Amino acid sequence: MARLGVFDLSVRYGKVPALMDVSLHLDEGERLFVAGPNGAGKSSLLKAISGAVPTTHGRIEMDGELLSGRAPENIARLGLSMVPEGREIFGTLSVEENLRVGTGIRRDYQAIAEDMQEIYQSFPVLHERRHTSAGDLSGGQQQMLAIGRALMTNPKLLMVDEPSLGLAPNIVDQVYDTLIALQKARGLTLLIVEQSSVRAARVGGRMVVLRGGKVVATGDAGEFAESDLLNEAYFGQSKAPSGAETHR
Amino acid sequence: MNAAPQLLFDALSLGGIYAMAALGIALIFGVMNLVNFAHGNYIAFCVFALILPSSDVVAVMFIGKLPTLLLIPVILAIGAGIAVASEYVIFRHMRGATPVAMMISSFALGFVIQNVMLTVYSSRAKAISLWPDLNTPVDIAGASIPLLQLIVIATTLIVVAGLALLLKKTRIGLEMRAAAENFTMARLLGVRANVVITGAFALSGALAAAVALIMATQTGVADIRMGGQIMLTAFIATVIGGLGSLPGAVAAGFLIGAISVVLQTFLPLEIRAFRDAFLYLFVIVILLAKPQGLFALRSAGPRV
Repeated sequence: MARLGVFDLSVRYGKVPALMDVSLHLDEGERLFVAGPNGAGKSSLLKAISGAVPTTHGRIEMDGELLSGRAPENIARLGLSMVPEGREIFGTLSVEENLRVGTGIRRDYQAIAEDMQEIYQSFPVLHERRHTSAGDLSGGQQQMLAIGRALMTNPKLLMVDEPSLGLAPNIVDQVYDTLIALQKARGLTLLIVEQSSVRAARVGGRMVVLRGGKVVATGDAGEFAESDLLNEAYFGQSKAPSGAETHR
Repeated sequence: MNAAPQLLFDALSLGGIYAMAALGIALIFGVMNLVNFAHGNYIAFCVFALILPSSDVVAVMFIGKLPTLLLIPVILAIGAGIAVASEYVIFRHMRGATPVAMMISSFALGFVIQNVMLTVYSSRAKAISLWPDLNTPVDIAGASIPLLQLIVIATTLIVVAGLALLLKKTRIGLEMRAAAENFTMARLLGVRANVVITGAFALSGALAAAVALIMATQTGVADIRMGGQIMLTAFIATVIGGLGSLPGAVAAGFLIGAISVVLQTFLPLEIRAFRDAFLYLFVIVILLAKPQGLFALRSAGPRV
């Protein structure tokens, strides 16, 4: 059974379609990158999966449970967490309070304390600044906080929207190193929006390319990095190299 | 007679009432972008809950007869109850609506509450006597201050401190602050929308009840229009404070109280009747200088 299954998903904002008949799946412990130009529907996909925007058509399942139609707070309870575009940390709350917001759904208090320690070990700067307002953190620190905050819900599936946006390359490396280490340690399933096929290839995983609200290509991230496929997918010519496949 | 302490106590007690009403409005605005204009009607409703329902001119105490230690929690619960009920019946079904649509609905709800009270109690103001001893003056630093003023100031401090503790130290407080800053993100982290919103309405209604008790004691009158003026002033305080900011609402409540008292004291007698015009002139100046309010919520936008 797939951890996450998206079947013929369509999302509209009023009359404007954001996603049209998107299907994809993720197995337990797998890593999937979602790429595509601006307005391709990447963030809409994550928002629909997490319940932040309603689905117009199609269905979304996690571990066989239907997600579409559920409120975001109930989807979080099923084990899905998200690091949204722009991080959206709570700037007026302290760093530690940000981490604690997502623990309301858990009753394993011992494990909550251990998770908090683990996050502080992964990101020592968050521990140093745990009593400062999160709004005073730098961009990179806010990204770490957003990841830590998402992990505090103890998710099975973590979705990260553009972890590299607006960050210096060395910080991006650090963010990815942490994500991969956490995935190994916890058996997390990861869905990451990432524009750079080179970076995706270096990290390793499958890749889905969206354009105009549709899936236009899927394949191994390495194959996208080696070929012009991503550019072609962005701009519309569709010539499939070996291994990877483009649709339409 | 010493004027300075007198002035100070006047300003603090008036400001305290505004601050509590403004907090009631800011709490709800924070979690659902609703400016609840029915808040003033909650205040009037709680005042009338003290007396027996009747259209007679003479008010007969009902809940107002209870011993103080029982009366206060009962009235606070009634305030919380009517606020939670209005959320459950009306605002819960308007979650996706625009702030303007919700605001208009709150006006409508206010009129409904007012007209129901009009039918039950008639429009004539009634004299009521709640804790009359509290109007006895006390001598402090050469000024004679009504005991009630001291109690109002103390109550405000207790309410503000209690609310701050609740928001800072409890789980629901943490969730309310998170939801006030970014409701969708809070929900994505498992914060239950209904729990947070119901909690905000309950606190807001209890604050309206506290204001009602103070006003009833201070004026000795029950009038179905009595919440209107304070609602307007408190709303202005929340705007000046930065809509949704709780410290801002408190600070601006005290600021407006202080400006009113200073104007009332120092304006020449012949233009004192126009005090509010000068007060609102101040408001306009503040908003021209700081359109987001004095304590606008810090944006948590992406940083590089």
